[in-house]
Amino acid sequence: MSVDKEESVKKLFTAESAKVDTNKGDAYYNELYISCQKRIEDLRKLAPLNNRPDFTESIEDQGLERRDFLKWASATTAMLMLPASFTPLVADAAVLMNRVPVIWVELSDCAGNSEALLRSDGPKIDEIVLDIISLEFHETLQAASGHQAEKQMNEAMEHFKGKYLLFVEGAVPLGMNGNYGTIGATGETFVDHLHRAAEGAAAVVAVGSCATYGGIPAAAPNPTDSVGVMDVVKGKPIINIPACPANPSNMVGVILHFVLTGTIPELDSLLRPKFAFGYRIHDNCERRAHFDAGEYVEEWGDEGAKNNFCLYKVGCKGPMTFNNCSIIRYNEGVNWPIGVGRGCIGCSEPDFWDKYAYERPMANANIKAPTGGVEKTVDEFGLGLLTAAGVGIAIHAAASAVAGKKEADEKEDGGEY
Amino acid sequence: MSMKEGYKRVRRMTPAMRIIHWVNVFSMIVAVATGLYIAAPYYQTFMADDAVDKYVMAWNRWGHFMVAIIFDVTSIIIAYLFFFSRFEKPWRKVIPTWKNMKEFFEVFLNLVTLNRRKKFDSTHSDSFNSVYFLIFHLLLGWMLLTGLQMYVHGLASGESSIGAWWPWMLHAVTDWTQVASSWMVGSTATGANIMDVRISHHLTMWLVIVWVVFHIYYQVWRTIFWKEGDISIVIGGDKFVKTDKEA
Repeated sequence: MSVDKEESVKKLFTAESAKVDTNKGDAYYNELYISCQKRIEDLRKLAPLNNRPDFTESIEDQGLERRDFLKWASATTAMLMLPASFTPLVADAAVLMNRVPVIWVELSDCAGNSEALLRSDGPKIDEIVLDIISLEFHETLQAASGHQAEKQMNEAMEHFKGKYLLFVEGAVPLGMNGNYGTIGATGETFVDHLHRAAEGAAAVVAVGSCATYGGIPAAAPNPTDSVGVMDVVKGKPIINIPACPANPSNMVGVILHFVLTGTIPELDSLLRPKFAFGYRIHDNCERRAHFDAGEYVEEWGDEGAKNNFCLYKVGCKGPMTFNNCSIIRYNEGVNWPIGVGRGCIGCSEPDFWDKYAYERPMANANIKAPTGGVEKTVDEFGLGLLTAAGVGIAIHAAASAVAGKKEADEKEDGGEY
Repeated sequence: MSMKEGYKRVRRMTPAMRIIHWVNVFSMIVAVATGLYIAAPYYQTFMADDAVDKYVMAWNRWGHFMVAIIFDVTSIIIAYLFFFSRFEKPWRKVIPTWKNMKEFFEVFLNLVTLNRRKKFDSTHSDSFNSVYFLIFHLLLGWMLLTGLQMYVHGLASGESSIGAWWPWMLHAVTDWTQVASSWMVGSTATGANIMDVRISHHLTMWLVIVWVVFHIYYQVWRTIFWKEGDISIVIGGDKFVKTDKEA
């Protein structure tokens, strides 16, 4: 399949720690502050790309005040795990985001991450910020199509060679020589398309679980042999922003970090930014007290559900999932899955469709997964093994008892047999 | 007290070994009972009480972690005794020498022939049992590593009540189990995750239970068929062998 043995053995001994270092010391931050300041000065000298609007104007157009923007800037600074003194720099960086070219390609997916950006209940600052980035190419959003679109992409890649951030949404099907997915007037396969787009990118950002680990297209039995971007693109900095859909705040966070420092944020072993994926949902969940108390929703709509009890027994995977949605939530803090009364499906974890998303307590998972049914199989296999051992023992014991009796008989009969 | 004529008393387990054995028995029962609750809470709490008074999952997790830590410590002692015990040298029984393999095979034949064939010295700990115990401790070691891997993610701040070294050390020692579990589970995705560790931890529990079932059966069976009082090893520390066999 997608992971060759050699690679997994190599990874076995090079697994990085998921530990998050939230305080790196004054010396580190002072140095970082100076380098960020310098970078922002340099960016300020550049003209906005493609006449992108000025950020301060666009927030006013949306009826938001500068005060809202500054509140957002300090929250984002905290999210990026930078000291509060960085807030003015983050605000500057947000304004200068129209200087960074972004190319967005879409592969095997449902466009849910693009949707997440576009279909929020009202324009939030995260979305406005994403509006003003210089999106040079976005297959789903652009007006151009066919040869025109291809031309536009080629021009963007040529013009911003080595400078643009490549955002990838969707898995890469490798089966049948990649012919499960083709794009453009030339019928280029997704995998070739991705290779070509990644060639000149400064960094590749895989957005959503499909682009990160293959996601739903790669779920068992994975007929198209789909994989994530990091399995295809080698020798480029890759940042994974999984979740289904990826949280726009985290996308902004990554772009901001790039604008601010010129580098990619610190990543964990799955190449996810630690500022967003360093914490377990469970540890910051508002229903955690009910978990510890043993108060669970037993079935949908029962008294427990009405009292906001823990969703563990109806399949919440918060204890096994790393993401910041229990802290920052979606749509600028409006709500998140557990907040609306349904469990976490672990959408930011590898293989989530097979191993997390069955919406049942883990012990009753029934979904067919690569190994044949994960938790339920484990329990059934275990019980089966136990039964087999018990039966074996019973047979042996019975045989022993009979044999022992025979021996005793033999002795009594004076060894006639 | 007079001993039965023609028998000799043989010391097989020191008091320390026996204490560890019963501590392990206790720990395992608690670990399985609480572990199954943690995996899928199988009893309900009284709805009328306040959350703060119940704390049922928290107590289960507390109990699970406490016995896990006790288990971890006895495992370290056992690992030490495995190599450096002055009482016996178990490691000498598990290296695949010709003598050990022959003994292993003979003990196995004794079991499957229902004690019709017994061509080995049952005075001391035999190779078959030594290998069987080694398997148990390997399973326990894997439970220890996978368990601590899942545990350390609760200490996400990198701090703990006993200092930052503890989560740091746990990450350093157990992070590789994610990748190893992913490989064992046969994950198709690139990148391991904690769910793979959880599945592996859960499956290994069943292997340990199966191990225990055979262990108890086999020791009772030996006691009945060998007529050497093997079951009393783990209580009084001694068993009895016929003196005429000695020679």
